[in-house]
Amino acid sequence: MAAWVTEYVIPHEKSVRAWLARHASQEDVDDLIQETYSRCAALDSVDHIDRPDAYFFSIARNLLVHRLRRARIVPIEAFAEIENFQDEMRPSPEHEAGDRIDYRRMLALIDGLPERRRRIVRMRKIDGYSQREIADMLGVTESIVENEIFRGVQAVQRAWRDSEAQTEARLSELESRENRT
Amino acid sequence: MTQRTATDIDVDAARYVAQMDRDDWSDEQEEGLQDWLALDPRHPGALLRAQAAWMSLDPPRPTESIPLDAPKRSGWLSRRSVFAGGGAVLAASFMGALMLGGGTSYATSVGEIRRVPLADGSIAAINTASEISVTLEDAARRVSVEEGEVWFQVAKDKQRPFVVAAGRARIRAVGTAFSVRRRVGGAEVLVTEGTVEVWADGAEGHRVRISAGSRGFIADNAAIKQESAEPSAIDRTLAWRSGKVDLSGDRLDSAVAEFNRYNERKLVVANPAIAGERLDGVFRTDDPEGFAQAVHITLGVPIDVSDSAHIRIGALGR
Repeated sequence: MAAWVTEYVIPHEKSVRAWLARHASQEDVDDLIQETYSRCAALDSVDHIDRPDAYFFSIARNLLVHRLRRARIVPIEAFAEIENFQDEMRPSPEHEAGDRIDYRRMLALIDGLPERRRRIVRMRKIDGYSQREIADMLGVTESIVENEIFRGVQAVQRAWRDSEAQTEARLSELESRENRT
Repeated sequence: MTQRTATDIDVDAARYVAQMDRDDWSDEQEEGLQDWLALDPRHPGALLRAQAAWMSLDPPRPTESIPLDAPKRSGWLSRRSVFAGGGAVLAASFMGALMLGGGTSYATSVGEIRRVPLADGSIAAINTASEISVTLEDAARRVSVEEGEVWFQVAKDKQRPFVVAAGRARIRAVGTAFSVRRRVGGAEVLVTEGTVEVWADGAEGHRVRISAGSRGFIADNAAIKQESAEPSAIDRTLAWRSGKVDLSGDRLDSAVAEFNRYNERKLVVANPAIAGERLDGVFRTDDPEGFAQAVHITLGVPIDVSDSAHIRIGALGR
């Protein structure tokens, strides 16, 4: 399931986010995206889905409509636009080739990590060592390795959001740091 | 702590993924994860997305060419994955441990492969569709393999021998590593470290020692066969521990039987004439279609993947 998401859904997350953002606040968008993935997580099989992008989008759209209906403060035109959106979502075939995640970009992301994190993620992902083996080789504890991997996962999570959200995250991180001191 | 933000949830999900990526994910952790997943409708989605995030860093897998003629184990073939076997942790393993009459039972569903740390420091790797129960007493550590296949890494403890029962077969160890598989007519034992002693229940007089690198078969009629095996053959047989099927000149029909242990979607050899063809390569236990594609390419036979319940290999037309 995660492999299917990596390959077919993630490349479209940004555009779905961008579309949701026209109708909902940033917080709501984040919630809706997570809930949409939750619906995917509940699927027994993905074999029957031949257009994962459209499928993902339609779940997100339904959740948005549901949320707006509950809020009852949305002008009726908004619904019309939401209902009509489906067709725009269909990319042309020549578009689709570029919709895969570019592995070179992922490598660049790994290379952009701080030294130890970069080394550990490379050893885990490219060399295929286990966390324990990495800990042994680098002479650090397994929890240090685990923590670097945790940060590595976060780096990818962030990369998948749009740049605006990325800036926000950095800002709020800075803010929370300032508040602590 | 009231409503948590999506960002907080992403942080939790990333932490779970990093923990699950380790070798020692425990039942308690699994329970904690299940509780967390049930806590908020956004949680399963956040976990799935974080799993996908971590997975996106895996080198891409070539889909078209699979080096079946060269026995070289190259990059993608040996890559490790938390998702190997049983799919995402999400979908599987609601099982956990069940306490029964002082013993603890563990069961896996089809396609699920679990590593379970036992209270004495030993480790049990439980293969697909298997069931064991564990009773740790002062005088002995007793494990019963009710069904399927298990590999044990036994923690040294001279005071408490580790005794496995599999049907009529008995295997006794002090501090070794070996696997036990229930088969029709008996139990198969593969020793990867040290020495074990085997016998059949009710025929204690006839005991055989089996050392690392050998395999034994304890038949229901108490006969014991022993043969030495190539170390590589033992490693290949136990490739399931990392979610792999490792073929080296294996027959197509036996490879198919192997994949069918792990998947509800069954492979079918539709043309008996190709059943004896030999194959090489390392495949994921949960990817029968990937295997079928490789067969299609190597043997040049048609495959039919249109049915969600079966994958037909060597089907002639439609």
